Amino acid sequence: MALQILVNILTAVMWMFLQNSFTPATFVFGYLIGMLILIILRRFLIFELYFRRLWAMVKLFFLFVVELTKANLDMVRVILKPRLNHRPGIVAVRTQLETNVEITLLAALISLTPGTISMDFSEDNKTIYIHSIDVLDKDEMIEDIRNSFEKAIMEVTK
Amino acid sequence: MTTIEIVTSFFLIVGAFFTFLSAIGVLRLKDVYSRMHAAGKSSTFGMISLMIAAFIYFIPEGIINVKILLAILFVFLTAPLGALMINRSAYRTGVPLEENTQQDDLKEMYKDEKRESSD
Amino acid sequence: MFTFIVYTVLFVIMISLVIFLIRILIGPSTNDRIMGLDALGVTLVGFIGVIMILQDTIAYSDVVLVLSILSFVGTIAMTKFIERGAVFDDD
Repeated sequence: MALQILVNILTAVMWMFLQNSFTPATFVFGYLIGMLILIILRRFLIFELYFRRLWAMVKLFFLFVVELTKANLDMVRVILKPRLNHRPGIVAVRTQLETNVEITLLAALISLTPGTISMDFSEDNKTIYIHSIDVLDKDEMIEDIRNSFEKAIMEVTK
Repeated sequence: MTTIEIVTSFFLIVGAFFTFLSAIGVLRLKDVYSRMHAAGKSSTFGMISLMIAAFIYFIPEGIINVKILLAILFVFLTAPLGALMINRSAYRTGVPLEENTQQDDLKEMYKDEKRESSD
Repeated sequence: MFTFIVYTVLFVIMISLVIFLIRILIGPSTNDRIMGLDALGVTLVGFIGVIMILQDTIAYSDVVLVLSILSFVGTIAMTKFIERGAVFDDD
């Protein structure tokens, strides 16, 4: 995957030199041409194209933005309440993700979602400890994280 | 007011609101961990909103400023990491949780370490 | 009208900066202070963004980038220092 992106960027830079104009627009155009070349040559490549993963990444990014907005609306509710009666707590969540990249991504996603911040990892990097600002239902929270984020991350990396 | 000014002011007001909200949260909430929710999320969101406003404002003048987008991306990537590091070091140096904390699953993990260090 | 909105936004952000400063001063723990500095850095980046709109210049975009990077590096260095007493791990 990394090699394909590198080839693609190289095509874009070469296009910029050929056009002798070093603007972002030329780069984007060159990148698109590189994509086209990769699509045409896909039968000769041993590995699969990375666009499917790129699309999954874009979906993950939009999930990220939506969750960030929801998180902030949630913060409005907690902070502007006249009486601070929220119940914080630390919850342990076991994940099925394996590599370090996936777990880092999951921790970052959790930190930017409603009411949760990742705090620490266990020794074997399998359990993420999450500080939640309002623990209403522990099991529901764990289910929510498993269903939405782990799935989206697995789509990108698997 | 032109259209671009209306869009810019919308993002500016949203950004200012969330920045101020984060400030109130940092002042009002009771322990480090809860305050980190306010400081980590709301101020990042406010800052991103303000930078988007700055980005949009310069588009009609024909300036597409990639550096502003880079700054947004960078804060997006680093804010969760900073929050995690602050919370973890707070827990490891023994900053107390607030009174009405429901549960603490992390306590068991550090029980052994504490016993070792006290011996 | 637009200038008025920009000035109001600047004022609100300035109050937030002062509140973060109060949190840095009253503590109570070191982590509260680090957190305040982190939030201060992020908010300062937004502040400079608004000033860019006000003065109609993009000259400060480098400042924005460097400030966000420095704020992050500072936070990580300080947390690692109070956690282990060293900024760099040996292992």
